[in-house]
Amino acid sequence: MPRSGRALLLTLWLLALAGLGVLVMQRLKVSTDLRDFMPAPTTPDQRLLMEQVGEGPGSRLLLLAVSGKPDAELSSLSQGLATALRKDARFSQVLNGGFDIAALDERLLPYRYLLSPTLDSEAMDKDFLADQFQQRLDDLSSPAASLLKGLLPRDPTLEVLKLAERWTPAKSPELREGVWFSAQSEALLLVQTHAAGFDPDAQSEAVAGIEKAFHALPGNPGATLAISGPGYFSVVISKQTRGQAERIGNVSTVGFILLLLLAYRSVGSLLLSALPIASAALAGIAALVLLFPQVHGITLAFGFTLLGVAQEYPIRVLSHRRAGEDAIASVRGLWPLLLTAIASACIAYLAFYASGVNGLKQLAVFTITGLLVAGFSTRYLLPHLLPMRVRDVADMPWLQRARRFVDRLPRPRWMPLLVALATVLMLAMAPGSFWQNDLAALTPLPQDLLQRDARLREALGAPDVRYLLILQAADAQGVLKLSEQLEPKVDALVARHAVDAVELPSRYLPSETLQRVRQQKLPGRTALQEAIEQATQGMPFRKDLFAPFVDDVETARSSPPLKPEVFAQSALGQRLSAMLVPREGHWLGLGTLSGVHDAAALEALASESGGAVRLLDLKQASESLVVDYRTRILHALLGATGLLVLTITFALRSLRRAWHVLAPMTLATFLVLAVERMAGVEISLFHLVALILAAGLGLHYALFFERDTGDVAEQRRTLHATLVCVLSALLVFGMLAWSTIPVLRAIGLTVSLGVAFHFCLSILMAPHVGHDDAR
Amino acid sequence: MKVLDQPLVVSGELGWLGGDKLERRVDHPSKETSTIADGEVTQQRDGRKPRSFSLKRAPQLQVLLDSFVALLGGDASRLNQAFSITFDSTRHDGGADAWTLTLTPRDTRVAKTVASIQIDGRGNEPRCMRMQEADGDLAVDLLGVLATRMPVAPTRETLLALCKGGS
Repeated sequence: MPRSGRALLLTLWLLALAGLGVLVMQRLKVSTDLRDFMPAPTTPDQRLLMEQVGEGPGSRLLLLAVSGKPDAELSSLSQGLATALRKDARFSQVLNGGFDIAALDERLLPYRYLLSPTLDSEAMDKDFLADQFQQRLDDLSSPAASLLKGLLPRDPTLEVLKLAERWTPAKSPELREGVWFSAQSEALLLVQTHAAGFDPDAQSEAVAGIEKAFHALPGNPGATLAISGPGYFSVVISKQTRGQAERIGNVSTVGFILLLLLAYRSVGSLLLSALPIASAALAGIAALVLLFPQVHGITLAFGFTLLGVAQEYPIRVLSHRRAGEDAIASVRGLWPLLLTAIASACIAYLAFYASGVNGLKQLAVFTITGLLVAGFSTRYLLPHLLPMRVRDVADMPWLQRARRFVDRLPRPRWMPLLVALATVLMLAMAPGSFWQNDLAALTPLPQDLLQRDARLREALGAPDVRYLLILQAADAQGVLKLSEQLEPKVDALVARHAVDAVELPSRYLPSETLQRVRQQKLPGRTALQEAIEQATQGMPFRKDLFAPFVDDVETARSSPPLKPEVFAQSALGQRLSAMLVPREGHWLGLGTLSGVHDAAALEALASESGGAVRLLDLKQASESLVVDYRTRILHALLGATGLLVLTITFALRSLRRAWHVLAPMTLATFLVLAVERMAGVEISLFHLVALILAAGLGLHYALFFERDTGDVAEQRRTLHATLVCVLSALLVFGMLAWSTIPVLRAIGLTVSLGVAFHFCLSILMAPHVGHDDAR
Repeated sequence: MKVLDQPLVVSGELGWLGGDKLERRVDHPSKETSTIADGEVTQQRDGRKPRSFSLKRAPQLQVLLDSFVALLGGDASRLNQAFSITFDSTRHDGGADAWTLTLTPRDTRVAKTVASIQIDGRGNEPRCMRMQEADGDLAVDLLGVLATRMPVAPTRETLLALCKGGS
């Protein structure tokens, strides 16, 4: 192609890339909700789990501890922080131990007689009131006087304080200076975010908001704020993982570039060979943007990893150039094989699409689009741009020596059998369980963070994130009634220490029925006035002091019962709305549990209810979800393997040749599994994804080694290309294998091992070519 | 007290247990013991569960504690830290000087509840402690020799006279 034509082609190509770039920039919306990466739930528990992952009251709790100063100063910091956060729309609840009567809406204050259980055991008559008034009189002469004096006219029975007591967490920490303190002299706060617990972006905003509010407080220097809880952890993990992945990525990119420069000694070729990959990535994202409303962050991270296969296409072309030969002619010679490789990789990645999980479908669309674009641009665009004059790698002396060494390697026929036998033995003898079902094990938290979380959770009596009591009824009132019926049974379990504390929705709002019952026990205005008059006989209370009390009782008596939707608008009602949720035609109540000691007793409680009450074990549900997930992927992979065999056989038009390609690939894949299992690694989804990538690379090695050209120089070029591919893959993934984060290590180690095994086995099991042909 | 028609009269003992600990025992009209210790107030009444709350929520108790501990312990600097102090004394015909110590809380938050404390005494013996609350209520403690001389139906005026006045 003439010079001007090349310039035009290059310009057009770059323009097309720029166009894709603009499209992506404008339309790309990255989501971080982990639920996109989970399969559609099939059991009711799994469905609840998915909702819990996002909305569960437990997963949205953040535990805060302020330390490093004298108690009095920590207390005012705690109060200041709580005040600031209560104004922040990102938080639905802020507790620090100090009860704020203002938290109960002024308009709802009269409802205290319907919300408090006092009337269940007492009648508001002369005797009860007389006893109460006498107690208040004692209070007035006691040190508590100033606390109660303000409440007295409106609330002589101290119903507000009874509600406050009822609504503070059952096992609350020690109160010092009016706020919660831990045994380690930290002021403690409990904050609930509106955002989902496993939405790292929203959580990092919330955490940043807390830190900002804290640093804006006067007197914060010298004090330290510690945050804990699922939301904070998701922030820490994603920051850590991203940080390390980026650092490693930068180093390995530099290494990769140096390696290619060393291999081809041409900056121009290097830059041009980056074009197919850049096109692949941009086209992949563009396809996602056009097909899906939101693209998941994990899709992109995994996608770029899996696209690593595509880097091989230009490398193959560069290595297989002959001196004096047009690049187009070299590519034409390679194309059938390259096309087979592309088709095989696409088929393998198609397995992700068949899994039915939204995030994995995206992954499939991204990688398949990317591979096709990389492959076809390598075939039809790149060769026109490559310089005419190149150095034929086949003439390099070290390569000739290397090829001779490879050709002289013994290739005993029993070797594959021996490897297969060893693999089976290793798999059978490996310690521990085969599968890792606990996804959290791959993104573990530093031990000190976990210990701090356990300590704060214990001190605050914060609910367990593992268990939930699920109450189901046709409507909200039904759930509240069910919750009321459950209360005495639950109290019995708490008394037996089966569980430390249980928080049920009816603790915050009784059902309308119960409210009406309490309403009927309230005396009418005149009756109450008479009772007060009789009860205060001989007491020094000012006349008409209790008029506001009489008014409130009258309001409570004549108002319609408090409905959940009205209550939810108040500051305290936020708590209830997290516990009372509508779901497809029915309502659910979520009871949180703290300190579960005897899950079986709770299970028994649930089974007595005949299905209306269930104990949800989030850990078990999530593990069963992972098992489902893996089963789907394995099934899809099985299908893909079948397709792969057909494709390769068809492409090579020989079952025997297909065997030479597929046998080393399969054997190497199982060998990686076996070695990792022997090393005590439990196999997770990430390992599976990495194995698929490694198998894709291994397929290339086997395909090219198997290629029978009878041309010694071409065999050297094949070795050169494969060595460059293997070294670059080892460089990139070997670096990841050193990561301290298990998920990165899992991918890095699996791919590195895979690449090494695939390379060795495909050389050793290739049909013997060259001067001492053994076939 | 504003909420009451008549003053409330209780009798008992107020004891300093050393450090920041104070015990207030009421014998009449009903038995009650309150202890202030380590920033916490614990109230115990016959036949009821003990109740406790933070000292922060009862500023006048903090004031009482500060003034008492400082006075009884003779800690002038602590007294000065918590209050601005004025001291009046008048020579009495009968013998020892009569004096009034007025303590005004420096902490504005405390001052919102407790306007001032006045301690009346004669010679080296305190007789009366009057706590003027910001909402107009007045608490009068008759101490020492006056403790047994609480009138049956006291008024502010008679009590004031008792504190200031004659033998």
